[in-house]
Amino acid sequence: MSILQHEVAQADYVRSDGHGKVTGSGQYTADLSFTGQAVAKFRYADHSHARVLRVDVSKARALPGVYAVITHDDVPEVKYGGMVQDRYLFAKDIVRFEGEIIAAVAAMNDEIAKLAVSLIEVDYEPLPAISDFVASMDPSSALIHEDWETDSRADELGSNRNTLGYSTIVKGDADAAMAKADHIVTGRYTTDPVQGVPIEPRAVIAQWQGNKVTIWSSTQVPYAARAGVATTLQIPQSDVRIVVPLLGGGFGAKCDFHFEGHIAALARAAKRPVKLVFTRHEEFFAIGHRREGMLIELETGVMNDGTLVARRARLVLDKGAYCGEGGFFAQMAAMHACGPYVIDTVNVHSFLNYSNNQPSSSIRAPTAPQVCWALEQHMDAIAKTIGMDPVALRMKTLIEEGAEGPTRQVFDYIGMKDSLTKAVEMIGYGQTLPDDEAIGIACGWWPCFAVESGAYFKLNHDGTGTIVTGAQENGTGSVMAMPKFVAEELGMDPKDISILYQDTDAAPWDMGSSGSQTTFNSVRAVLAAAAEVREQLLDAAAEALEAAREDLELVGGAVSVKGTPSKAVTIAELAAAGTFHGKGSGPLPESPAVQAEGCVGRLGMESFLAPQVFTHAVRVKVDRDTGVVRIVQVAAAHDSGAVLNPIGANGQVYGGVVMGIGQALSEGTILDKDGKQRNPGLLDYKLVTCSDAPPIDIAWVGRFTPDAGPRGSKGIGEPPSVPTAGAIANAIANVIGSPVCSLPMTPERVWETIQGAAL
Amino acid sequence: MKNETSLTVNGMTYPVAIDSHATLLRAVRDDIGLTGTKEGCDDSECGACMMLIDGKPVNSCSYLAMQAVGRSLTTVEGLSSGEELSPLQQAFLTAGGVQCGFCTPGMLISATALLAATPHPTEEEVRIGLSGNLCRCTGYDGIVKAVLQVSSK
Repeated sequence: MSILQHEVAQADYVRSDGHGKVTGSGQYTADLSFTGQAVAKFRYADHSHARVLRVDVSKARALPGVYAVITHDDVPEVKYGGMVQDRYLFAKDIVRFEGEIIAAVAAMNDEIAKLAVSLIEVDYEPLPAISDFVASMDPSSALIHEDWETDSRADELGSNRNTLGYSTIVKGDADAAMAKADHIVTGRYTTDPVQGVPIEPRAVIAQWQGNKVTIWSSTQVPYAARAGVATTLQIPQSDVRIVVPLLGGGFGAKCDFHFEGHIAALARAAKRPVKLVFTRHEEFFAIGHRREGMLIELETGVMNDGTLVARRARLVLDKGAYCGEGGFFAQMAAMHACGPYVIDTVNVHSFLNYSNNQPSSSIRAPTAPQVCWALEQHMDAIAKTIGMDPVALRMKTLIEEGAEGPTRQVFDYIGMKDSLTKAVEMIGYGQTLPDDEAIGIACGWWPCFAVESGAYFKLNHDGTGTIVTGAQENGTGSVMAMPKFVAEELGMDPKDISILYQDTDAAPWDMGSSGSQTTFNSVRAVLAAAAEVREQLLDAAAEALEAAREDLELVGGAVSVKGTPSKAVTIAELAAAGTFHGKGSGPLPESPAVQAEGCVGRLGMESFLAPQVFTHAVRVKVDRDTGVVRIVQVAAAHDSGAVLNPIGANGQVYGGVVMGIGQALSEGTILDKDGKQRNPGLLDYKLVTCSDAPPIDIAWVGRFTPDAGPRGSKGIGEPPSVPTAGAIANAIANVIGSPVCSLPMTPERVWETIQGAAL
Repeated sequence: MKNETSLTVNGMTYPVAIDSHATLLRAVRDDIGLTGTKEGCDDSECGACMMLIDGKPVNSCSYLAMQAVGRSLTTVEGLSSGEELSPLQQAFLTAGGVQCGFCTPGMLISATALLAATPHPTEEEVRIGLSGNLCRCTGYDGIVKAVLQVSSK
């Protein structure tokens, strides 16, 4: 079967939010303002773990220009969270990380709000701060959540004291297989926390009219934000409307319900619109959302011919202070410790531990980049042990059609090996390079997530149309591409189709921008809605043209008789005389069958629907005197099924690779012994700049996949950030002769590894 | 203390009363109401707040509004003429230089300044010229391509 590239002309397709973005007329949340609006500021905890003994806001409330100061006492006594509800809007009696909110102030302006925050008096009894997330699972460690046993899903998650979640992947008898292996290879890797760092700091504005609140928020998940407000303020979801103006990036960091509840409560108390805009400093330390630090211990039994007979692994993940939406991380990490390889037996144990660090939650492919970075270095170590070329070892052991994964899922067609072949070819693997340069490769996988979605499509009387979708555009362009798909179904011009989106009162529930699933699920719904309108148009045209329905086609903005284009009625003529509107969800793909009876902590990640698979190959240059690594070239080969919108899909790879380079070399949050961030700013937390970014070559090796999404497509948003760090690590090791086992691989760590290797 | 003065932005002069300590970014966004220029870090690290002051790119978050009195300011709103997009704005869209768009105004300002100073830059010159503007979405590929496309015409 040939590679699918959709046939629509792409060159002149410009995203419909583009004009506003290049002219400055497009508005983001912080660009909005309302008559009489107040400025919001939070009072954060002064300790990362402490008992709150007294909060006195009287002086702050008495300050002229202060409209409201609220604390836990001013909102319902309700906990919120994802799989575990473990958090209050405002600290009740314990603060568990430095970004915990004690109180919120609404005031006339910034200066008064800041002064009011400083006038709030808080007394604490400091408690031992547990920043070491591995030590936190020690039975003697103090409890971070004393009431963990009452959590409703504690059993299902395998919770135990400070371990929020425990998952295993077990296949066969790994101990017995290990005993018979020709070689046993081990590796131990650690990773620092990483931040999402969207360039837009988050902003929230709330305005009440009667009992109904409208909240403009820079969220990736408006429906989750709505549910969070309704839960924490104990009001119906129908009284909460979330509107997302243009969203200035998210990368997962703006997933989950975060600050909409605080600002809604504050606006109600202030009796006026209230606006919160985060500083960059807050964007680092105060959000309950970063990529988790990890300890990754891997052990593989391998035969001399490269057959992987056993994998044992122990993973420890830093959940930070609260669950948020990251309750599934232990199992997802465990799947990545197996990777897209055929391994006879598996025994992986994965622990998701509470600590007094900032909460971790989904950042672009949660858990995957770190575990992939470790596993792919481990694969190179295995290859070295048996004297086999790393590419040859992978070619022998990667999954392919008919192969069985770690949970005995049997794969349909999958372009895993094709991606390896293509990446190796693009990078020129095997070429002679200067002795300070080398090439490294890494492979990885990521599932598609099937989620309910719903959409409407309606025709306007002039023949233009409007899509109504709950999908969230975070910048990738996946919502912006919807008019193109509908236009193709109806023979219309995409420019004639507008989108009503990011308004929870308008469209049915949608998961929002997370899990690389907007095209997979939301476009499925939009196409189903358009299909209903297509049927309505065919009915109306058959009557108008006195023609048989099956003889008609929709092309060029008209419905015409096939072969007789002159016998036609335009969509505009039909639309003017009737009401054409459709709704749809489309059939939800089923998760592939697995045999995972031996696994505990099963949360659905054991089955990888329509896996997106990929290989990155990276050429690096290492300065041995300083440890500075320069990325010379990246080749990225991906199977994301059929590529529907190349400019969007390529954009995800370019951006994901560069984010992966940051994770590899410079991005890491440094914590002090109490879990407080030491580099919460862009001067000390370094993103990749334009002059650091290398040339990136992209290849799409995807083919039609039976269980894929619309038109044979799979997701693409998250995968490009997954394998880059692993490929860079292997390239560095190929130059300096030894692996760098801490992420990010900063110049200091590379230099130290060089020195260690020389000893 | 408020100073009664005026600022000239995109060819139009605005009478304004601005605090001595107000940044140019605040004055243009809050007092004049041109919100196209963004605040990303308030620390001259991200470049989202870039404006041209007498043709030179400046991080307006770290520049006092009073210093800009009597100078000619250009923001992203001043790059197009009427409804017509500038070649750079158009190229950013067609080359994939825009995703979330939050860095775009500052990026366009820096690119405009770069091309004014160096009409035919090499790729390396473009990459160095834009290295004061952070983008988290595009990997810079579409942005660099857009600038090179415009400069080669």
